[in-house]
Amino acid sequence: MIAQAVLTLLLVIVLLYAWSAHRKAPVVGFLAMAAASAGLYLVWMPHHASWLAHGAGLGRGSDLVVYTWVVISLLMLLNLHLKLRAQMEEITRLARAIALTEARRGLDPGEAEPSAGGAPAHR
Amino acid sequence: MRTFVVIAAYDEAAVIGGVVAGVVQAGYRVVVVDDGSADGTGPLARAAGATVVTHPINLGQGAALQTGFDFALAQDADVVVTFDADGQHRTSDIARLVEALDRQGADYALGSRFLGGTVDLPPSRRLLLAAATAFTRLTTGLAVSDTHNGLRALTRRGLSRLRLRQNRMAHASEILHQIALAGLPWVEVPVTIEYSAYSLAKGQRMSDALFILVDLFARRMHR
Repeated sequence: MIAQAVLTLLLVIVLLYAWSAHRKAPVVGFLAMAAASAGLYLVWMPHHASWLAHGAGLGRGSDLVVYTWVVISLLMLLNLHLKLRAQMEEITRLARAIALTEARRGLDPGEAEPSAGGAPAHR
Repeated sequence: MRTFVVIAAYDEAAVIGGVVAGVVQAGYRVVVVDDGSADGTGPLARAAGATVVTHPINLGQGAALQTGFDFALAQDADVVVTFDADGQHRTSDIARLVEALDRQGADYALGSRFLGGTVDLPPSRRLLLAAATAFTRLTTGLAVSDTHNGLRALTRRGLSRLRLRQNRMAHASEILHQIALAGLPWVEVPVTIEYSAYSLAKGQRMSDALFILVDLFARRMHR
């Protein structure tokens, strides 16, 4: 009963997290929600877990619960990776803005068409 | 016609001066995007005649090219040519690409080493490029003969339809994907790529292909 309560609490947190993530990463969000819901179902219906595990070719229902948890963990990892990518895009935009501002500052109005001394006319 | 040659460069001090000087000598405006180099690439490029835009941190070749595109568009560029910093492209091919845009009414002129030629292309690299080209044809629907070729020319209209979000090497596939989505005319132009020990050391490896695939996959997973 204690294990059920702890797992339920954790899975509800995962469910809420997945819901909050689904706008930015719909595929990962919905998959994590589906996996967390499946986890909740298995936690509260352990006899169904055994039955489903046998159907899936697994020995025990508890194995199925563990595998479900592994899937959830991998999805969370993927979501973390996607968040890091999104952050990198923000950093890129910021760095680009700084670079372009600095470059424009370095160009005098008359220097807008830079060229090397003695080079042929630009095309 | 205002043609800008955009060169993304990261720690290319050994070659950047010569590459920029060659392009400037041919009469083009050169924008070098120094992608956070620590070896003095930026000052050397500037001394050779380029306008240098400096990333405060290293972001990757795709990010550097997009910065160069933004800069060139803000300078009223009519045509932008992308050119590698490692010296494997020929300056004479720039004119062929630009002429192809004009002559064929295209918005994108893509350099093809397999329609043109290669010098000292290792067999392993040829195999990797063949696989990458097959992948690109399959995923974009563009019947290109080459891919991940950094020598290309784009009109202002064509450029305004692109927005690179792949910071690193996957940008080459992303460009072709966005060209396919843009639906604007494109053409392939024979060019020559000269491989050297330096360019091969700086270029992509077999293992990079996996990272490119991961990047392309991840890009589609979030908004």
